[in-house]
Amino acid sequence: MVVTRAAGAAFFMSVKIIELTNFEKRILLMLNTLKLLKVFIFLICCACLVSCSEQPETIKITFIGPLTGGVSAGGLGGRNSADLAVSLRNQSPETKYKYELVPLDDECKPNIGVQVATKAAADKNIVAGVTHYCSAVAMGTVDVYHKFGLPVIVWGAVLPDITYGNDHPEIHRVNGTMINQNMVAAEFMIAQGFSTWAVIHDTTDYGKGHFKYFEKALIEQPGAILGTFGVNPDQQDFTAELTKIKALNPEVIYFGGLAPTGVRIRAQMDKLGMSQVFQGTSGIVSDAFIDGVGDLAEGVLAFREGAPTEKLPGGKMFIQAYQARGFGEPAEAYGAFAFAATDLIIDVIEKVGPDRNLIRDELNLTQGHESIVGPVTFDSHGQNTIALITKYVIQDSSWVLWEDSEYALGKRSLK
Amino acid sequence: MAANRLVGRSFCGTRLITMSDLKTKLEILLGVALCVVVLYGFLYLEHEWEIGLLLVILPLAILFLKRANILSDYQQAARTIPRFTLISFIVGVLVLIVLLRDEHFALLMLTTVLLYVTVSLGLTIQFGFAGLVNFAAIAFFGIGAYSMAVLNYHFHALPDLLIILFSGLTSALLGALLILPILRTKGHYAALITIAFGILLRTFLEVNDVFGGPQGLKVGAIEILGWNFSDSFPSVLGGGSFYMAYAIMALLLAAIAYLLTRLIEASWFGLNMDSVRLDEVASASFGINIPRWKITAFMLGNFFAGLAGAIYAAMSGFIAPASFNFSDSLLLVSIVLLGGIGNAVAVIPAALLIVVLPEKFQVIQEYRLLLFGIVVILILRFRPSGLMPRGLRQYFPRSST
Repeated sequence: MVVTRAAGAAFFMSVKIIELTNFEKRILLMLNTLKLLKVFIFLICCACLVSCSEQPETIKITFIGPLTGGVSAGGLGGRNSADLAVSLRNQSPETKYKYELVPLDDECKPNIGVQVATKAAADKNIVAGVTHYCSAVAMGTVDVYHKFGLPVIVWGAVLPDITYGNDHPEIHRVNGTMINQNMVAAEFMIAQGFSTWAVIHDTTDYGKGHFKYFEKALIEQPGAILGTFGVNPDQQDFTAELTKIKALNPEVIYFGGLAPTGVRIRAQMDKLGMSQVFQGTSGIVSDAFIDGVGDLAEGVLAFREGAPTEKLPGGKMFIQAYQARGFGEPAEAYGAFAFAATDLIIDVIEKVGPDRNLIRDELNLTQGHESIVGPVTFDSHGQNTIALITKYVIQDSSWVLWEDSEYALGKRSLK
Repeated sequence: MAANRLVGRSFCGTRLITMSDLKTKLEILLGVALCVVVLYGFLYLEHEWEIGLLLVILPLAILFLKRANILSDYQQAARTIPRFTLISFIVGVLVLIVLLRDEHFALLMLTTVLLYVTVSLGLTIQFGFAGLVNFAAIAFFGIGAYSMAVLNYHFHALPDLLIILFSGLTSALLGALLILPILRTKGHYAALITIAFGILLRTFLEVNDVFGGPQGLKVGAIEILGWNFSDSFPSVLGGGSFYMAYAIMALLLAAIAYLLTRLIEASWFGLNMDSVRLDEVASASFGINIPRWKITAFMLGNFFAGLAGAIYAAMSGFIAPASFNFSDSLLLVSIVLLGGIGNAVAVIPAALLIVVLPEKFQVIQEYRLLLFGIVVILILRFRPSGLMPRGLRQYFPRSST
């Protein structure tokens, strides 16, 4: 034992510090420390050098949408459109400020959305935002914008609760929701001379939501709902519901749900000899509905948010400018809305200056602002009330815009 | 160190001990300070050229430190007094939190990293120690988050710390559903079961209106003794972003999880788990109860994930099934792989890279995930067993130094 320990000590003596005096050790230690300190100081200097960059004087607007992942096509189209709006304004000599778009990717995931929303909202150089394509993401981020006071305009997400589920003055939306859709639907139908409805809706969020807002719209209009039937989307046989509806004898059957259920109901109406007008929601605007129903589809009505871009008030100008810029990706259905939202924000900044609170208040006052998607008017929740809704009717086995149809010209009649 | 102490005791008296002790501590403090500076830069820098510069400087600096033998000195020092190292790291991150007190976004990222570190430590126990493949880490994280949301809403009177604990337990208990299938399968099949569980959970959340359906659920903020975490940091303590409170909480959680993981690794728990992973037959023939260790590792890992999920839910204020995708589980597994399987320290730099890097690449927009992928592949090309592979177990305490 003693021998090994002594040998061990001798070993350490030979390689380590035993020969040095205390003074020498101290010097060595200091040198060593100095070496460490040098590294340390070097890194600090690097960090300082790197972080001391100057702040740009341009005004920043953020764009948030899905730039990667499954729905990135919509997001990239929106990004390009917002970018187009910014660059067109920057080129204009009348523009007071210089603008810069800060595009961020929310991946259509709520958790990433909250992250980038925080990033944008906490950045004091960003004064406003054009945000979100996916409803779930927008639902998660509205509180973030409110907390940090960043005024935003939603350009693609359609869930009503994004604007109506809160009282945040920062949140606005240019595109329509199922509320606008049903408002337009009710107005239109009453203008066509209908006054009584029976409602069949599926019991999902989609169907229930549509029924709720259609009912509301009819109370304002006024029209009467004679009976309401909630059905399971998988239900095959609607004889019971339809027999009751036949007894109620409404002029229109309103259906809130998706195409497969709609096909079954429309087909079974015929078996019971019912010839009421069939009015659907955005969920049946698909070729699958026409294929499923066949000739019975003639004269079926439906309503949908947005419009084909070329049918928009400023659509032609937008498409030309978009093509002139030579973007790699198409603008997609909501690109025009991203363009309109960005343009509206820039208009407001030009008017009140780059201050978040002023922009927010001015946005809330927006009334009949001209944009490429038509006039924009925000209600008390920041929702565009004259949002664009397109009316469709099935004519000769295809979905036709109501205005272009023979029904509108009076050549054919719904009844 | 032990050598120095021995030498000191026998030859030079007490003075030398304090001297070299001081040097070790100084080295550790400097090391921690270096890490904090790098971390600060990483979280704070925004411009593309700054990040680019950092990405160039950082590997060079590490190479330099390695060449100058400083890195090994630090590692040696850290191994000598682990408790001091851990405490100085915690203090270092606390200092960082204070430095970043007005940077909401940097704090959010830091907190996310710390929570992901906690989940990855759970995976380290499952994957690195007991050899259980878990591709549903984000599902357990999600269970924690949803438990937090539901419990906070329906039992508001309960103290939130207790709710967080419950959320962890719920996660572990729901994970218990998987115990039987996991014990009866091996390798790819076990992995498949966890994948199925993750997908099932997401579908379950989407069809249940109680849990907000596909549109998600709002989550109340954590409140402790009347202090709402989502308000600004109390001005008595210097003020700052509301994320500060969550960052500190996440730091404590990560520190506890880390300590626990290290203790497990060093004790006979870890020894048994290692042996289960390396050779089940041999372990069983030596009388090791294999199911027991697998279950322990699995439950403990899911418990960590649940705790982290609960804090995450309260911090972000909103959760939806889309936040807990299979791809996020893969991200967590890749943190463990990138770090070095079974090394508890390694998950920290790995989590930092995986969570923060894609965020820093936002400037290049749609190409960011591509570049991120390239960086990860490059790292694994030059360090195939991870950034910091797990070292050999030291069976004899410190005598080899």
